[in-house]
Amino acid sequence: MSNAHPKLDLCELTIRYGEGPAVARNISLGIARNSIHAFIGPAGSGKTSILRTINLLSIDVDGATVTGRVLLDGQNVLEATTNARAELRRKLGMAFATPQPLPRSIYENLVFGPRLAGVRGKAVLDGLVESSLRAAQLWDEVKDRLTHSALALSGGQQQRLCIARIIALEPEVILLDEPCSGLDPISTLKIEQMMQSLKSRFTWIIVTNNTKQAARVSDNTAFFLLGDLIENDTTDKLFTAPVDTRTADYIEGRFG
Amino acid sequence: MSAAARRRLITPRQSQFCARVILWAMMAATLAVLVFIVLFVVKRGLAHVSWEFLTGAPSLSGKAGGVLPMIVGTLAVTALGVALATPLGVGTAIYLTEYTREGRITKIIRFGAECLAGVPSIIFGLFGFVFFVLVLGFGWSILAGGLTLAFMILPTVIRTSEEAIKSVPPSYREVALSLGASKWESIVKVVLPSAMPGILTGVILGVGRSISETAAVIFTSGSSLSKVIPTSLFDGTRTLAVHFYQLAREGISADKAYATATVLVLAILIINVTAYAIMSRFMKRYR
Repeated sequence: MSNAHPKLDLCELTIRYGEGPAVARNISLGIARNSIHAFIGPAGSGKTSILRTINLLSIDVDGATVTGRVLLDGQNVLEATTNARAELRRKLGMAFATPQPLPRSIYENLVFGPRLAGVRGKAVLDGLVESSLRAAQLWDEVKDRLTHSALALSGGQQQRLCIARIIALEPEVILLDEPCSGLDPISTLKIEQMMQSLKSRFTWIIVTNNTKQAARVSDNTAFFLLGDLIENDTTDKLFTAPVDTRTADYIEGRFG
Repeated sequence: MSAAARRRLITPRQSQFCARVILWAMMAATLAVLVFIVLFVVKRGLAHVSWEFLTGAPSLSGKAGGVLPMIVGTLAVTALGVALATPLGVGTAIYLTEYTREGRITKIIRFGAECLAGVPSIIFGLFGFVFFVLVLGFGWSILAGGLTLAFMILPTVIRTSEEAIKSVPPSYREVALSLGASKWESIVKVVLPSAMPGILTGVILGVGRSISETAAVIFTSGSSLSKVIPTSLFDGTRTLAVHFYQLAREGISADKAYATATVLVLAILIINVTAYAIMSRFMKRYR
């Protein structure tokens, strides 16, 4: 499944908060370049914590203690200095379970990241706004109201805006934390189509509670349960011939 | 319907109606008192507010002439106090909310600020007099008055800023970080703009307290009746509130006292309206 040099390589990753038990234990997992990798599992299985550890939010925001390695093209992300973290997060874009547009215009949302990265010049920024919105398949819906508040968009549009905002930073990996959990089926479909169309440009990891979504959209799927990685395989294999009975039980809806 | 429900003295509809009436009456009473006070002052004072009064110097201990030196002195002392307290207060609030975890130290700082907020202003005046006027040798001056006012309004600015910053959704910080902002950038570019209306409320409360303060400034800026407009931070000044106090207490001139009070009330009104107008223009970008 994963090629010889995975884009992202999690090695013996263990995450805990404070003195509590580990929420993810000894996770080793490769994410292939230009693939869509789904993380599935019931609530409390550690998948969101793993996702938030990849871009160091769990450490910087939630105060998690992490051991192990997260290798991005062979470089350990966890060893990044405070100053290198901003640069790293530009490579590891993230969208959250509830769409999180910032309270400003659509245009300002999109140029927020690039401006921080030092991109200047109206023409450059305008071009970036259009190309990212086109990539996120949102351009036609919002091109006439770029100066309007992003908060006025529908939930599905807001989530695509958030993904466009990530794309504007030209990341290498895009992390999606249950991006469709609050969206209707049509908005969900649009996001899934967008992921497929952009697979050649980015490597995607999607955490989802919806096993059907994982089956539809992903190339590989990892199944987590109570902080352990139970099974990781190509999506076809995992959904048709799972090795572990717990995986089979979960994807057939017997629990979770 | 059960027996218990039928035995109720008043129906939900009636209690709803009562609540509405009582709450409306409370609102109306508050508003009435406010309007009454303002009208009471303005009605007596407005007739004596003239261009000469606004632009002239006082004479005959304030029995005649105008209040320009007091207007300038009031604005100078207030501006200095607010200009010092705002960065200090907002900085403290940022530290307390963003750079420390809740613990013993934050509790002590917060408790200290709350105690400070409850200290009578005359105590601040006494402190300012001893420390700034005498020990540091500033004399009765705008500088001593401004510094004293800054300490007086600091707790208010800290507390309101803290609440405003806390009310910014944590997700905004995460989004900023995930888009490559440093912690400081996320605070400056996302948290503070969103918290700005709340911070401004604290600052405006501070302006109101400073501009109308008597006890703290009478000890620190003095009450000498200067005919000239103060031009240096080391000049003493008599603020409008102090001027009003002297005119009324010494029975110098009731008309001039009410005129001074009117100027004070209108000044507060103008400052507040201007501040909110600027804020709403600024906030248009963050909706």
